[in-house]
Amino acid sequence: MTDTMLTPGPRTAAGADQASPAGPPRPGRLLQPRVAGALRLLPWGLFAAVLLLPVAGFLLVAVSPRLFDQGDAWFTWAPFQQVLSGWTAHALLDSLAVGAGAALLATAVALALAWLTERTTLAGQGLWRLLLWALLLAPSYLESLGWTWLVEPQGVLDRLLGQDPVWLRSVVFGPAGVIWVLATRGVPFAYLAVTALLRGLGREFEDAARTHGGGRLATARVVLPMLAPALWAAFATVFAESISDYGVAATLASQGNFPLLTGAMEQSISTFPADFPLASAMGWLLLALVGLALLAQRRSLRGRSYQVLSGRTRPARRARLGAVRQTAALVGVGGFFLAAAGVPAFGAAAASLLPSGGKVSAASLSLANFRHVLGSGEMMSALGYSARLAAITACAAVVLGAVAGRALARQGGGRAGRLLDLLLLAAIALPSVLLASGYIFTYNLPFASSLGIDLYGTTTLLVLGYLAGALPSAARLLSGPLGQVSDSLLWAARIHGRRPAAAWAGAVLPLVAGSLVWTWLIAFCGTLLELPVSQLLAPPGQEPLSVAITRQLQGYDLGAGAAMTVVVVAGALVLIGLVLGALRLFLPTARRLEALA
Amino acid sequence: MTATPPSATPPSGATDALVVDRLSKSFGATRVLDEVSFSVEPGRFLVLLGPSGSGKTTLLRCLAGIERPDGGSIRLGARTLAEGRTHLPPDRRELAMVFQDYALWPHMSAAENVAYALKRRRPTKHQSATQVAAALERVGLGGHAERYPHQLSGGQQQRVALARALVARPGLLLFDEPLSNLDADLRERLRVEIAALTRESGATVVYITHDQAEAFALADTVGVLEQGRLVQLAAPEEVYQRPASPFVARFTGLAGELDGQADGASHAGRVMCATAAGSLVATAMGEHGDGAPVHVLLRPAAVTIAEDSGEAADASHGLSGTVADTAYRGRGYDHVVELADGSRLTGVFDRRACPRGARVRVTLDPDGCFAYPASSSRPTGAGQDAAPLSDRTPVEVP
Repeated sequence: MTDTMLTPGPRTAAGADQASPAGPPRPGRLLQPRVAGALRLLPWGLFAAVLLLPVAGFLLVAVSPRLFDQGDAWFTWAPFQQVLSGWTAHALLDSLAVGAGAALLATAVALALAWLTERTTLAGQGLWRLLLWALLLAPSYLESLGWTWLVEPQGVLDRLLGQDPVWLRSVVFGPAGVIWVLATRGVPFAYLAVTALLRGLGREFEDAARTHGGGRLATARVVLPMLAPALWAAFATVFAESISDYGVAATLASQGNFPLLTGAMEQSISTFPADFPLASAMGWLLLALVGLALLAQRRSLRGRSYQVLSGRTRPARRARLGAVRQTAALVGVGGFFLAAAGVPAFGAAAASLLPSGGKVSAASLSLANFRHVLGSGEMMSALGYSARLAAITACAAVVLGAVAGRALARQGGGRAGRLLDLLLLAAIALPSVLLASGYIFTYNLPFASSLGIDLYGTTTLLVLGYLAGALPSAARLLSGPLGQVSDSLLWAARIHGRRPAAAWAGAVLPLVAGSLVWTWLIAFCGTLLELPVSQLLAPPGQEPLSVAITRQLQGYDLGAGAAMTVVVVAGALVLIGLVLGALRLFLPTARRLEALA
Repeated sequence: MTATPPSATPPSGATDALVVDRLSKSFGATRVLDEVSFSVEPGRFLVLLGPSGSGKTTLLRCLAGIERPDGGSIRLGARTLAEGRTHLPPDRRELAMVFQDYALWPHMSAAENVAYALKRRRPTKHQSATQVAAALERVGLGGHAERYPHQLSGGQQQRVALARALVARPGLLLFDEPLSNLDADLRERLRVEIAALTRESGATVVYITHDQAEAFALADTVGVLEQGRLVQLAAPEEVYQRPASPFVARFTGLAGELDGQADGASHAGRVMCATAAGSLVATAMGEHGDGAPVHVLLRPAAVTIAEDSGEAADASHGLSGTVADTAYRGRGYDHVVELADGSRLTGVFDRRACPRGARVRVTLDPDGCFAYPASSSRPTGAGQDAAPLSDRTPVEVP
């Protein structure tokens, strides 16, 4: 047939003189994709410059103080020598020991917890997961404060028992207490790492061990090494999180005269005159330790493949727990959560209800502290200030995180994707206290002012600091769900007659709304109670919530601080409940898809 | 080819001719489409066939408006969809598409998915409900309107996608390998439904696939793409019986290939070829002088085998070989025959089984043997399917 046929195919052979609108590719055309690619990366480059360059400047001051008018030497190791001697060396060793201890404890607890929830018929699975989320979301200093209110002189136990718990206080305000609080904070991270693998580890490995004559113990010995990647990942993550934690260093450790590296960093910046080279050297060491932990994890797996997921993987069988074992497991798991979350929560609740002085009895419990807090302009203005900044930060983190997460998911393999991935990873690994120190230092330099960047001491800088902390994890959280939405869903909507915005709103938004809302909530709650950046970057005359609460630690108004904490935590929980409720009401499909996943 | 008569029921959307002229597209330094030109008359079914990497998906995405071509033009009737700086966005092209992964919106039921595509026609609520129900009924899913995509099987999902594409009666329908994710039985049934429904709608169709059997079964016209160039555009019968190049012949199914020389000049479209396996008569594809090197490509349907009686008379016609493998195919047996020079012919069908190791005479039908000048016949498969094209499952055209 010829009726639908024109001369097919290549006409280039017909001669170069033939006029061709396509013609040979013009240089401009070849350049176009590169230019477009560079333009796409430009906002991220700018963003990295604003968020991360200050940290690089701060790190430079350790080796070249003269460069920033912070000393005489153009190049020196002196700050490092200074850090590695005296009390800062002590702080470094303490941080190392505490980090290793917390990582070990958290990994062991998480393994047991993961095994019980994934491989046995343990009762109350939903409750345990909920409590893990609570541990993950609550800042570390809240747990520290709960313990502090409980054991300090004139604290809850002292007044309830009529006896000062000196022994318990010495335990809590020392390495054991610090390790415990950091470990309980690390358990959710470790749990997530271990369960991800445990779920994929099918039944066939256990079946193979059993059919080849292995008993229960021998089977466990076969299966446990297969969990090695997850255990290493858990250990490295908790170690890195623990040594860069500031909340515990500023509360339990500082009260127990047990210096930690992050606390020492903050001190050398907060004292007058600030010793930036010393703080910077500590920043280097902190960064090196975090980097080493992540490197050790990678190296430990080199040359070994632990791929356990395949199309043939069969779901693992849950071991049926008898009454005795079920009880024992429940006591163990319940005991852990009681000590990790229950005791500090009790400390906070009791401290907020106790009268400020006098004899304690059931009748003397009152809401006076709450009335005082809610009536106090100082506390309420701190709450309003932090809530405003948290809302701004969360909105910015969701919008920018969605764009970055989408780019990350789309360009995962490409150079741009790898670069973005690296930037985000670096920003996540960066301890908040180092980030805030970098901001204080760089934006206070004379050249920043001469460039017209007058951010030092402003709320804008505080928000930038918050955003630098919230954005990388928001991008990572969103890259998964956004990457899962196939391009063709959007194109199908376009092809069937929708304009870009309408197509996105109709075909993509309902699928990712749940993740967007969750990311917003996580960023909001995290920022509302954020401590290190607030402590270091709060503008004069403005007090963020976390700073106001920890200030109560000085002791002059114990009950008010505790009441404020209870109000904020309860308020955050109500907000989470309301937002999720609204999501389910107005976007029922999000819930259905969640259930599907 | 036999022209398919225009549909009895004309679609509400105007069916216009699609004219693609010198369409080019590069990704970085890779030229994915190289001045592709063709036209499809209103209501006709064009299948673009090619291995992965041949540019067929890019071509379809250019037609849909998802990709912006670097050069050339696309016109649908009087409207220019793309040319120079003009690039009509997908939502203004008045077309519909069935995606390889179905692209059903998971948060919408089957009926909502179909209704979404109808909204561009701004129907009343009642009209929408009636037309959506009719479209779902037409694809056999009348009872599944309220189900969500995850509650439907793969075949049912693809039917919803088909109903969604047809419901607004677009002038141009695009299909992006819609059957590739389905199992063989379902693929055949859906193929029949696609053929019936699209012809009934009267829309102009562009369908891409890498499956030559699917292409031949569906198309009014088949276009074969090789490395971004359209190397043949013709009726399915012509593509099979007169493949424009060795690439097209290989891609549409071969039993084997032999090298040799022309024994005398070509005459009346036939040429005698002397090969290491023996002499044979083939269809001359181009001019062959006496003694010129040739490359002979053999269709499976052109090869028949018979037991070798060992008589001298037998040696005067056909080639001799040994059965290397026999596979039962239900209606008969597929054989692999090793010829005297060690080369193999695959997919040689016979109703009776010849046991492995049996000596056979191989008879070749010249209509299914194509002799190309040797220089033009080397495989050019760089960047395409990893498996040699001669290993592809052969198709037989009745």
